[in-house]
Amino acid sequence: MILQADERVRRPMPTEPLTRPGGDGDGPSKPDVKRPDTNELLKRMRRVDPDQARRYRQRSGQ
Amino acid sequence: MNRLLGIETEYGLYVEGRGVADQILESVNLLRCCPFPAVKGAWDYRLEDPRRDMRGFRVEQLAVDPHDAQIEREHPISLSERETRSDHVLTNGARLYNDHAHPEYATPECRRLMDLIAQDKAGERILLACAQAYQRQSGATVKLYKNNTDYHGSSYGTHESYLLLRSVNFDTLASTMTPFLTTRMIYAGAGKTGVEVNPNPRVPYQISQRADFYMDTMNVETLYRRPIFNTRDEPHARLRDYRRLHVICGDANMSEYATALKVGTTALVLDLLEDGWAANFFIIDPVKTAQSISRDPDGKWLVETDDGVMSAIDIQRRYLQAAQERYTGRDAETDWILREWETVLNLLETDPELLGNRLDWVAKRQLLSLFAESEGVPLDDPAMIALDLAYHDIDPVEGLYYALVEQGRMQTLVSREEVDYAMQNPPTDTRAAIRGLCVQRYTPQVESLNWERIILRNEEQTVRLDLSQLTGDTRDLNRRLTAASTITEFVQLLQSPRRASKTDEEESS
Repeated sequence: MILQADERVRRPMPTEPLTRPGGDGDGPSKPDVKRPDTNELLKRMRRVDPDQARRYRQRSGQ
Repeated sequence: MNRLLGIETEYGLYVEGRGVADQILESVNLLRCCPFPAVKGAWDYRLEDPRRDMRGFRVEQLAVDPHDAQIEREHPISLSERETRSDHVLTNGARLYNDHAHPEYATPECRRLMDLIAQDKAGERILLACAQAYQRQSGATVKLYKNNTDYHGSSYGTHESYLLLRSVNFDTLASTMTPFLTTRMIYAGAGKTGVEVNPNPRVPYQISQRADFYMDTMNVETLYRRPIFNTRDEPHARLRDYRRLHVICGDANMSEYATALKVGTTALVLDLLEDGWAANFFIIDPVKTAQSISRDPDGKWLVETDDGVMSAIDIQRRYLQAAQERYTGRDAETDWILREWETVLNLLETDPELLGNRLDWVAKRQLLSLFAESEGVPLDDPAMIALDLAYHDIDPVEGLYYALVEQGRMQTLVSREEVDYAMQNPPTDTRAAIRGLCVQRYTPQVESLNWERIILRNEEQTVRLDLSQLTGDTRDLNRRLTAASTITEFVQLLQSPRRASKTDEEESS
């Protein structure tokens, strides 16, 4: 499924407020919606070093 | 929410040229570069008891991952326990330390979801600053990942803590929470490329990072044989009054929305339990069910229960419906959770791709699909694991989650200013503010501290401040403490019989 950002950004954001520090009751902020551009995403993804996952080894934690 | 909440996240750590044998030292080195004011090396472990089980016993020892134990044996380190732990308590009341070779940030106790989201994101920013400082010092590339796996079989945790009344019967708590936690991943999963078990089923992508590591439905373990329902009995509050639900089966969410929904729904189920409601069904095999749901992101998520086969969505709806009947209109935060919970379940049923701006597992899969289609590579190409990892890179300049945020493709719930504020300041309505004030003002006097106690030494006098009963809204007290002009006044405000103790009674008990 290719990103269908147009559909998503048109969908209304939640309008009911969540309480916030200070208790002012502002709602969740809308994202700063710019024109979706998958080229920028692809550029960022192409910059990812494909060998990083091979190098990435971790100690087990909790 | 009418309870204390917190999230503790162990971050994945990569330091160029260093391997797993060096990871404890590298984690310590990174924490030594912490550029924020803190009380260091003073965490008080005396009240911790991770082997105590809610079922009324204490295990002899906790299980350890055999592979990790081998690394420990073959590569011993020469640091002291204090150096290894590298404990920091920050001005926002958070704890920052080295936990099993992972830098861990534990948020201060919060009562409101938005505070928790801001504090969780503040943790990312604080650790990013540590990593950048260490990179400058060492000259090596240093990266931190907010995820739960190295994709080679090692997992590390993101745990949630929820304070609840001890009057909730253990059996009811466990039987009600287990189906909920088993199926919660359908909106709380962070997504993962591949599977980390042998034999390895060919699954290109699954919903949860953590499901591969579930080995038991219920136990007290966290390092190995990890359960869906953790029975650790360590309330960090007065034992006779409270439990702490220690959720260890969840994923690290990059999405603020997913974090809010995950924590908000879980807290509402605890509200139901405290109000006497209980689930009246159980899942036949929760571990197998969780892994089956996770590994079939496009499936129907059918679950075998003692009440017949039902979908994971319908199981979640049982909890949702009970919460809607009781809590609709209670407050704005509750209404947000109820509405979004319902919306998400409906969309998961009808068009899950529309959740790509809210849920991590959907957003990440869309990113990977975009790359796969553009570059003509299959979804199970090894390069996909690198992209999966990059989604969790907390550096906004390089991380793929942050690329989505930058483009307005992810719903965010807190502003940059709120996160900035949370990096330095605790929530105003919990006992974390008292801890934060001590770090801000009385660092030289802090002898030790933890979640429920602070010991101050002032002019040859040692004062124990007992926070174990301060579990409610402490806004008024915090306001008065903030106005205190001297440490003596600060201590006096806390020294009512219910709020502080100067005796050695606790130590000897």
